Amino acid sequence: MIEARDLTKRYGDTTAVDNASFEVMPGTVTGFLGPNGSGKSTTMRMIVGLDRPTAGAVTVNGKPYAAHAAPLREVGVLLDAKAVHTGRSAYQHLRAMAATHGIPTRRVREVIDMTGLDRVADKRVGGFSLGMGQRLGIAAAMLGDPHTLILDEPVNGLDPEGVKWVRTMVRQLAGEGRTVFISSHLMSEMAQTADHLLVIGRGRIITAGRLADVIATARQATVRVVTPRPAELAELLTGEGATVTSVASGQLEVAELTSAEIGDLAAARGLPLHELTPLGASLEDAFLSLTRDEVEYRSETMTQGASR
Amino acid sequence: MTTHTAAPSETVPSVTVKPVSFPRILHSEWIKLWSLRSTYWTVLATLAAMVLIAVMLGVASLADDAAVVPDGQMAIGMGYTFAQVVVAVLGVLTITGEYTTGMIRSTLAAVPTRLPALAAKAVLVAAVGFILGVVGVALSYLASYPLLGADGAATLSDPEVQRIFWGSGLYLAGVGLLGLAIGTIIRHTAGAITLILGLLLLLSTMWQLLMMTSDWFTKSYAYLPSTAGERIASPDMSSVVAEGPQALAPWTGFGVFMLYIAVAFLIAGVLLRRRDA
Repeated sequence: MIEARDLTKRYGDTTAVDNASFEVMPGTVTGFLGPNGSGKSTTMRMIVGLDRPTAGAVTVNGKPYAAHAAPLREVGVLLDAKAVHTGRSAYQHLRAMAATHGIPTRRVREVIDMTGLDRVADKRVGGFSLGMGQRLGIAAAMLGDPHTLILDEPVNGLDPEGVKWVRTMVRQLAGEGRTVFISSHLMSEMAQTADHLLVIGRGRIITAGRLADVIATARQATVRVVTPRPAELAELLTGEGATVTSVASGQLEVAELTSAEIGDLAAARGLPLHELTPLGASLEDAFLSLTRDEVEYRSETMTQGASR
Repeated sequence: MTTHTAAPSETVPSVTVKPVSFPRILHSEWIKLWSLRSTYWTVLATLAAMVLIAVMLGVASLADDAAVVPDGQMAIGMGYTFAQVVVAVLGVLTITGEYTTGMIRSTLAAVPTRLPALAAKAVLVAAVGFILGVVGVALSYLASYPLLGADGAATLSDPEVQRIFWGSGLYLAGVGLLGLAIGTIIRHTAGAITLILGLLLLLSTMWQLLMMTSDWFTKSYAYLPSTAGERIASPDMSSVVAEGPQALAPWTGFGVFMLYIAVAFLIAGVLLRRRDA
């Protein structure tokens, strides 16, 4: 279990993490979702004591990370696939990490087999691909058979088979009662892995809760309406509190009214409708709507899309 | 979810995991040290440099027309001048190699109290420096013996020779430690190497130039890190170099050198504790 209280990290004028309070529960996979640069990695580094919080505190299983006698038994962490000396072999890297906690060499072999690194274990890490680096990072995180796993963008650089393997692994680990905290900037990835979501944008926790609930609140269903008299219909619907956007000539997208309500209103006014189609918002749309105001680097096309 | 109530301790460990302790950290650092090729190169280069200097001085002693004829003590007592460059780099790389690759994050995640990791590195760097110094002098003696002959070679029972023998180990241990401390402070390989080599090799030359401007530089010359520290390893040159600033006694000089190292480690320790990794 991870508990953060008013966790804040400032670098000069930049606030990377802003008063973040949250809990990550055992037995679940909690997805940490946010755009790049939103403070996910900084938060995770503060949990394991690598970055010192400007304010606030965070504990793992009731204690600050550094206060645990055997920290690798409490938390396994993958922060950065390249947190490894490039001149050392994967095997020696893991052996050195294991030695700090008196973990036997047998366990080093186990995590190497578990992560499928057996063929490259004796090669120097400098030549590893991003995917192999991720596997080595996960192997290192698993060394101490930890109660809590913190994985920062673990599927980054993995092939589809590797992505599937990570998903299965984290589900299984959570099933064993462990706490799994896993970050991603991809909503679709989280939707397939996490039970709970913690959404962060510009260092602030935007929302937290069960995956389905978070998506439901974020999803804004819209209805596509095609009519020969769009101006009149738009005026009518706006009067009823709907948000109407003109997509193409004669084609509207209506939010905050159901298709039935729109149809009834149009019929009552005698406005002909040629099409009335409910559109479900995609997961990515839900994510974007959550973080719309909280994105640090926004691309031009996205800005246009948002103001459409 | 019912699993929410599961306490973390209920996941029964099948893996042996023991608390972090200093001997375990030392073991980890030992594995790290000897699993890098650079360590082997450093060891070879240090020994080669020391032997090479001894042989060169041995050859020089054969010439009749030399102004200064190197003796047995010089043959074994000058090797540290080259060796210190390599050992300084070893000390620096022990920590900057971790900063530049990102390994430091793995190290500090395993040892979140941080200082024991630095202490373990210090123990190993000092031990390697010491052994290299002593072994280097021993090899230098053997390599220059055929050139110097039984009469020319240093007398092993001579206390001065004994001091050079053990002192070379102590000085190189100190140089390695200084490199480690500076590497921890600077965190970048090139910057740290520039700084320590500047301290060890260039500062005394600079001081010699400045002596012309003020008497203070003449008086303080003996207290520079290099001039103070190397006294424990170098032969007594007062008979050869008649004039020049007063040098410290070997153990006094080494004490001053250790003070510099202590200050450097104090700064390094504070920074290591405070900085984000």
